Amino acid sequence: MISLLDTLGKYVLIIFKNVRRNLLRTILTSMGTMVLVLVITLIWSVLHFLDRAMSDKASNFKVIVTERWQIPSRMPWAYGASLRDAAATGPDDVHPKDSCTWQFYGGTLDPKNRTRENSLFFICMQPEKIPTMVDELEDLQGERMAELKRLTDKMQSQRNGVLVGSGVLSRLKKKVGERMTITSFNYKGIDLEVEILGIPPEGTRHDMSCFMNADYLNAAFDDYKSSHKNQPHPLADKTLGLVWLRVDTKADYERVAAQIVSSPLYANPAVKCESASSAVTTFLESLKDIFWAMRWLLAPAVLVTLSLVIANAISISVRERRMEIAVLKVLGFRPAHVLGLILGEAVLIGALSGLASAGGAYLLVNRVFGGINFPIAFFSKFFIPVEAVGWGLAVGTLTAFAGSIVPAWSARAVKVADVFAKVA
Amino acid sequence: MGPSAPSAFDKVVQILFFSGKTELAVALCGFLGLMALLLVVGRVPVSYNVRNLMVRWKTTAMTGLAFTLVVSLMTVMLAFVNGMYKLTEKSGQPGNVMVLADGATDESFSTLSFVDSSDVERQPGVLKNAKGQALCSKEVYVIVNQEIATTPGERPRRRFVQVRGVEDPEIAGEVHALALKPGGQWFSEAGVEESDAAGAGGASNVVIQAVVGNGLAAELGNDRPSRMPLQVGDTFPLGARTWKVTGILDSTGSTFDSEVWAKRSRVGEDFGKANIFSSYLIRTEGPEAAKRLTAELKDYKKAALSPQPETEYFSKQGETGKQFLIAIIVVAIVMAVGGVFGVMNTMFAAISQRTKDIGVLRILGYARWQILISFLLESLVLALLGGLVGCAVGMLADGWTARSVVSSGPGGGKSVVLQMVVSGEILMTGMLLSLGMGALGGLVPALSAMRLRALESLR
Repeated sequence: MISLLDTLGKYVLIIFKNVRRNLLRTILTSMGTMVLVLVITLIWSVLHFLDRAMSDKASNFKVIVTERWQIPSRMPWAYGASLRDAAATGPDDVHPKDSCTWQFYGGTLDPKNRTRENSLFFICMQPEKIPTMVDELEDLQGERMAELKRLTDKMQSQRNGVLVGSGVLSRLKKKVGERMTITSFNYKGIDLEVEILGIPPEGTRHDMSCFMNADYLNAAFDDYKSSHKNQPHPLADKTLGLVWLRVDTKADYERVAAQIVSSPLYANPAVKCESASSAVTTFLESLKDIFWAMRWLLAPAVLVTLSLVIANAISISVRERRMEIAVLKVLGFRPAHVLGLILGEAVLIGALSGLASAGGAYLLVNRVFGGINFPIAFFSKFFIPVEAVGWGLAVGTLTAFAGSIVPAWSARAVKVADVFAKVA
Repeated sequence: MGPSAPSAFDKVVQILFFSGKTELAVALCGFLGLMALLLVVGRVPVSYNVRNLMVRWKTTAMTGLAFTLVVSLMTVMLAFVNGMYKLTEKSGQPGNVMVLADGATDESFSTLSFVDSSDVERQPGVLKNAKGQALCSKEVYVIVNQEIATTPGERPRRRFVQVRGVEDPEIAGEVHALALKPGGQWFSEAGVEESDAAGAGGASNVVIQAVVGNGLAAELGNDRPSRMPLQVGDTFPLGARTWKVTGILDSTGSTFDSEVWAKRSRVGEDFGKANIFSSYLIRTEGPEAAKRLTAELKDYKKAALSPQPETEYFSKQGETGKQFLIAIIVVAIVMAVGGVFGVMNTMFAAISQRTKDIGVLRILGYARWQILISFLLESLVLALLGGLVGCAVGMLADGWTARSVVSSGPGGGKSVVLQMVVSGEILMTGMLLSLGMGALGGLVPALSAMRLRALESLR
């Protein structure tokens, strides 16, 4: 055992020495590997996030209720109360563990010259549900969760208080504590004055999200009615975008869905009930070809390019070292040893470069750049998952192995007599 | 949205997809001309370099293949974005004015009252057809969540289908400049008919008559066992009803290829927009008249409207294309950097193997700068060959169809079937990228070759 470890150690030492011998080539191969692994890491991070968003969870199900036939979903606000209880009426009906409503309010700070830079969209909901029902925010821990709860408590006591994502805030050139007058573009005549109480926690996908207390929006519709001779706003009965419910299991979800769909309360417009992952899948259906191309065209092509870069470097290295390989064979190295040495060099460079690239991307993208800005459907930002570090290591190792197998095999087959005959 | 000065990014879009043929041709010719000039002025032994590339054919092929992959991928990705731009460009008619409700940026969010804007079509400048009818198409637009039939055990699937309810299909066809394929006809005044096909849930045998876009007909056809595109007479489920195809819109490569058209009253009633319009589309004499009418409608007193030339409306729908383009540029640059390292590796190896050759060349009287040019040209020839093959492979993507979304920003959007377009601009950009990679990857090794001393290299 000890002698085996000793032999292995010697081989590793030779591999390290060989890698260091032509430092320029090693650095160039390593740099090429690093940038190509970076591309793979970015592509797979986006796909990984979308795959997860489209997969059903085994427990702690989130359910979305929306208008059945059309988007954007516009249901009467009156649906909200009963939908939040999943239309439960009988003693055996399932009641959701948690729930909230979402209304959407869009507006601009400059109605005469409306641009993307002076516009913003609010999710109007129950403030106390922001820490329990909003994706990613519900997972916050410790001080960050305490800070979010402090803000949402303040939103409850100060109805015109809003949270504005840091990205939106910098786009609007506003600061926490400032007040804004918003002219609506989706509810004409419902213009609101709000005060920025804070920002949703940074480093999450909510840098571009804005939250408002639903009571404040609904009170504005009441005010509209009283100031327009008791005439409600034309869209007053179409303000409810969606209702979120949380249930324990898939079985509960199916029962809740049956309760809602069979309820006579939601006839016009009809509603549908689906798991959050199913809703995401529907939204991404139109972009399926793009994801297919990213997964099966772009990523494989980058992997092949990476293998080529490594194959090229290793085959040049083998060609230059035919004499040395012949000497090794004379010294007693067997073909398998030579094969192992060449593969070892390639795999070492590939693995370390892949690891450094993915690890660096994880730190840079998540910590320094605050995510990748690539708006798809309702996702504005993507982060590099921690699993990416493993992908980098695996991609670097496997592509290096694939790229070096042919040159390593040719090195294994070097004939001592041929090499020395040429020298002679 | 207010007008703003074109950004550098907008200029890139303009050059890549619209009118950059001359600029790109000049850049490419400049590059190739520079290569020819170096060849002539330098009097370098290029045949020596080319022969070396042929002798080391495996390395040459592998490096060339890296160029090919990078260029062909970039060509395919740009062809997709080009398809999106062409789609939105073809969707707007230069003489049309699109009228939405004030504040709305997308048809799906626009709500126009029947009463408030009833005389929009009587504004001066609105063209009339041979029957004396104003060429103003009053439309209601909805995005319908269509349930796709699945097999037992499969997850529920849905797609978004754009449905346009039009008041008068013939006027709508004329204003949108769309015609039906032979054998089809517009829907009737009633917009419905009795049919043998049962309604959804077997509730009714009244079906809604509809005209379907060419791309959507193929898409909906995928739901059938035969996977054949829908034809006139076929039915399909949408919302709570069954719809019957009376005609197929002749393909124009526009967003309308992905729409269903039916009688406005039926669409409005079924999808909660019974007494409203989403938009008016008005035909004027031409672009100038469209601008005049747009200005006049901005001062319309009875209701607050948001008029704009239709071409402008659709150019704003290219927002998604911009997002994809940014992503593609980032990916292409990073891949190109990876490729540059690969080329550098190859060229450094070529130089280290030919140190003695360089010494001989120097002794034969070739100057240092001629050695530099010689190796730089070797790298550029490799890039030229790899780039040409890459462009040829990328050209295969021309005409492929793909699904995507076009939108003017978050919240709106149209689900479309587009055709990828490999243009001359894209091919020239691919060649420039390849030559750029070759130049960057070859320059540093060529500089190191230039610095070799004749006698030392011969030792």
